[in-house]
Amino acid sequence: MLQLMHVTKTFPGHFGPVLNEVNLTFNEAEFCVIIGSNGSGKSTLLRTIAGEYAIDHGRIRIDNQPHQEVRSLIASVIQDVNQGTVPDMTLLENVVLGCLKRQKAGLRWYQSRQQEALQQIQSLGMNLERYLHTPIKNLSGGQRQMIATLMAIQSKPKVLLLDEHTSALDPKTQRVLMAYTAQAIEQHRMLALMITHKLDDAIEYGNRLIMLHDGKVVLDVAREQKQALSRNALLDLFHQYETKDHHEQ
Amino acid sequence: MNSDLLLTGILQGLILALTTYGVMVPFRILHFADLTAEGAYPLGGAVCSSLLLMGSPTVLAIIMGAIGAGCMGIATSLVHLRLKVNSLLSGIILSTMVYSVNLRLLGKPNVALFHRALLFHPDHLTHNVLIVALILLGTVLPLMCFLKTERGLLMRAVGLNPSFAKRQGISVAHYTILGLFIGGCFTGLSGGLMVELQQYVDVGMGVGVVIHALAALMLGEVILGNDTLNKQLLAPLVGALVYQQIQGIALSIGLAPSDLKCFTGFLVLLVIAMQRKKTGEPS
Repeated sequence: MLQLMHVTKTFPGHFGPVLNEVNLTFNEAEFCVIIGSNGSGKSTLLRTIAGEYAIDHGRIRIDNQPHQEVRSLIASVIQDVNQGTVPDMTLLENVVLGCLKRQKAGLRWYQSRQQEALQQIQSLGMNLERYLHTPIKNLSGGQRQMIATLMAIQSKPKVLLLDEHTSALDPKTQRVLMAYTAQAIEQHRMLALMITHKLDDAIEYGNRLIMLHDGKVVLDVAREQKQALSRNALLDLFHQYETKDHHEQ
Repeated sequence: MNSDLLLTGILQGLILALTTYGVMVPFRILHFADLTAEGAYPLGGAVCSSLLLMGSPTVLAIIMGAIGAGCMGIATSLVHLRLKVNSLLSGIILSTMVYSVNLRLLGKPNVALFHRALLFHPDHLTHNVLIVALILLGTVLPLMCFLKTERGLLMRAVGLNPSFAKRQGISVAHYTILGLFIGGCFTGLSGGLMVELQQYVDVGMGVGVVIHALAALMLGEVILGNDTLNKQLLAPLVGALVYQQIQGIALSIGLAPSDLKCFTGFLVLLVIAMQRKKTGEPS
């Protein structure tokens, strides 16, 4: 469904490629967790798939079409809560914006989607309905990230990109948001790629695990092998690459 | 203050309100710092006047003036979007260019429009106020309705968070062009009406119009606030009416007309200081 063939990306002034001949194939309903140290190319990979960065060479295709032509099939949630929503708009307006990604906007009142938006907000189970007409800049960071995730999921994308979307949240909200995300991915059978620095999350969630290092895929395991991995084994892998870097320097 | 003076203030305030809406759409809805109004206002007046001189019906002349100024808004947005020129500079370049266009249209720097079939009657102030109020209602109400539709919501999202809009697949270029066209139309309409009211057009009539409109807009926002869309849409009207009355009072207590621009500048600075105090922002 999503294919990356020989994808290479460099940035001016950056030593070496950030993505180096990446070849990956993902299938529908796959929940893939991506890990790697800082600067390994994780976020660049997701932003490249999202079409935010042009690649130097290689090809990215979604359902056999160039990814740039089907950007409406992709939704992303990033760490910065201010970028995933419109903070000055109300909760209702934000959720309607999420709906409008999959449906063509017309000249009908956006308020007429209130019922649809309300149902979606209720599906979060966080009692946010009372804030329907409140600008979401007045809500907490966790609530705003929940809304950003809801908006991305409700736009029913084929590819959902999650870039450390729980990292700025407290442990309790993190668990609630991760549980909601995992359930929604399974329910809507979308392909999800999630970046995380939390090794426990990497082991617990998803049915595929990829590790990047220096822009290359150094580990790519399916659910069965992933379940066999322990936190310590993953930590050892991290250290292995860090030591390698240290020796190279 | 006698009733004629009050009505004249209201009439000019209503016409200024149209320019203020023309400035509000790019500045507040799109968050696009724009000086197009400086050129769009005289362009609306020049197109309207040249059509009147050619014997065109007055309503058609005003509409064409508004559309012409709207096209100038499109040109500004294209210069900004395609050539990546800073938004303020795009407006300044286009306004400078339009000065020559206006001279071409009029044939000379200023033209009197006496003995033409005009919309306003100099002796019927109430009638004139009613006409402008109806025009204002007929233009602001559709804008208000549009901004409450799904497409209007997308336009507001483009202004409030352009990077979010891009990621949502919303065409930032499309809504910027549309917004600047709407803004230009409002300003051009205001220019056309002012020409009809004064029965006179001057290519330099746009000088300082943005600062007057901004002063009115900010005044309206201080009075009403701008935390909801409805308040944001009412602020230009209330602000323009109050601003025009303040100007009238200042003139009636002895301020020289030549000092009016300096007075406006002080008023803008005062309003900014008041807004800072209201939001609690440190200076």
